[in-house]
Amino acid sequence: MGSLTLRGISKSFGATEVLRDIDLEVHDGGFTVFVGPSGCGKSTLLRIVAGLEEPSAGDVLIEGERVNDRAPADREIAMVFQSYALYPHLTVRDNMALGLRQARTPKATIEARVAEAARMLSLEPLLGRRPAELSGGQRQRVAIGRAVVRTPKLFLFDEPLSNLDAALRVNTRVEIARLRRELRATMIYVTHDQTEAMTLADQIVVLNAGRIEQIGAPMELYRDPANIFVAGFIGSPRMNFLDGARLGLQAATLGIRPEHLRLDRVAGEFEGRVSHVEHLGGETNIFVQAGAHGLLTARRFDEESFALDERVWLTPDPARRLLFDAEGRRLR
Amino acid sequence: MRRRFRPHILVFLAPAVLIYTLVMILPLIGTLNLSLFNRVEGAESFVGLGNFRTLFGDPRWSASFWNALGNNTWFFLIHMLVQNPIGIALAALLSTPGRRFASAYRTAIFVPTILSFVIVGFAWKLILSPIWGIAPTMLASVGLKSLFAPWLGQEASALTTLALISVWQFVGIPMMLIYAALLSIPEELIEAAELDGITGFAQFRKIKLPLILPAVGIVSILTFVGNFNAFDLIYVTQGALAGPNFATDILGTFLYRTFFGFQLQLGDPHMGATIASVMFLIILGGVCLYLFGVQTRLRRYQF
Repeated sequence: MGSLTLRGISKSFGATEVLRDIDLEVHDGGFTVFVGPSGCGKSTLLRIVAGLEEPSAGDVLIEGERVNDRAPADREIAMVFQSYALYPHLTVRDNMALGLRQARTPKATIEARVAEAARMLSLEPLLGRRPAELSGGQRQRVAIGRAVVRTPKLFLFDEPLSNLDAALRVNTRVEIARLRRELRATMIYVTHDQTEAMTLADQIVVLNAGRIEQIGAPMELYRDPANIFVAGFIGSPRMNFLDGARLGLQAATLGIRPEHLRLDRVAGEFEGRVSHVEHLGGETNIFVQAGAHGLLTARRFDEESFALDERVWLTPDPARRLLFDAEGRRLR
Repeated sequence: MRRRFRPHILVFLAPAVLIYTLVMILPLIGTLNLSLFNRVEGAESFVGLGNFRTLFGDPRWSASFWNALGNNTWFFLIHMLVQNPIGIALAALLSTPGRRFASAYRTAIFVPTILSFVIVGFAWKLILSPIWGIAPTMLASVGLKSLFAPWLGQEASALTTLALISVWQFVGIPMMLIYAALLSIPEELIEAAELDGITGFAQFRKIKLPLILPAVGIVSILTFVGNFNAFDLIYVTQGALAGPNFATDILGTFLYRTFFGFQLQLGDPHMGATIASVMFLIILGGVCLYLFGVQTRLRRYQF
């Protein structure tokens, strides 16, 4: 449906620079997720794509056409907001139809599109209700429906799930993935939740302090992070970072994911004491105080239990360890 | 389960109830009571609704009353048709982002509301005076002298002119109330409208206006109560006779002349109280109509 190209996008509010020199390519039909800690500029970047914010420098291209000077409504995009931003005085039907009516779309087309969106999102029984009479999840679906009826080239989602409870979040996530397959639409999605990023995206853009740290497929970022920030941000529980010099390595830092840190009662590379254990059912996270190496996390997928203060040995899987230099860049 | 009666609640309620009773409820009951008596052959005596019969039945009383009520209604209509739309428009302009000097305009427009009636009335009288006013000179300087007329002195235009002066003074109040209501509309809602292509005036009409209707309702009822209690501006500019030829006589000035007397007319507390009671009933009726007929239908939205 639509591709997006960002060329050298920068944005400053007064003296504060929130985005610096962002280059990005989103392919037709791709699902790209902007992820990063709060304040990294991911929402600002999305708002620049939407036209709600003007870039200080750089170009926004949709399907190869520069749209910098076009009003948001003329960019053929649709956006789903974190607060849903439904029109509180209008029914679900009118919420979805208002934009089309404003664009003087023929009545029959409006009705057909609203009916189609309502079917897709199972909103049919709610069409006559007002937003105040809907639950959070239903409001979210209406907000998505309002985006769908516009048949945009690009769908933009700004942290759409962060106001939902955990169970609903999983459902809606699956829903969005299904919707995307059904619509074959290009989607850009902002979140600070890495689970959402990993499960939905086929391209993840990791942002930090206004810059792109890495772009890649979810598993690529997990397996092969370009730097210490991405390594630490993707994956939960967080990757362990050990001081390289203490281990006699050339590298400044050794990174090892909890699932690749072998925990043994008998022997290993270095020893520590169990300081806390989290049983999650299918997996167990064991926090080990490993002397000079600090607090490390090991993850096991069996039901072996460890006692507090028990003496254990740890060994990083040499095949899965990642090395970083003093600037945090990956050493390959 | 019924809660036990807690006597300390009375202690907390007492100050408000006492003061309100003292300054509002007692005078009101006193007035209503006074309107049921009259001086018959030198002695106070109960006449029931006799005073009301006089007010509506006696040709001279009723002519004055209906004249004042008609004028008052016109006074109110001008406020509703001029003051409130302008107030809403100003609020809409001031609340659009990126307007320069917005806070300076807001202050400038609001300042007249805090001025005394005496100052406003007298200043406008001077401005509009055909002899030494600046209005004729200013119109002459742009070649429009022919448009000038002694507006305050002509029966046909005096009331409208006074209403417009009052609008000038009070337009800041609806502006502020509506402005506050507009600010409470979340940013994201407006951005959603922008993305839907609903911009400019269409955005105001289809999104913002429906959301501020409750505030517009409050403004209307405040205008109604304020206008039907009005007195001071007319009194300052036209005197208690509300000239020319009672063309600007509203219920407030009519009440004042009747109650306290003016020039050759003797004060009559009983008829005055009767008029005050009728004014009370008119305002009560209007407010009830609003509360039960309009406000219950207005939706308040939670964002």
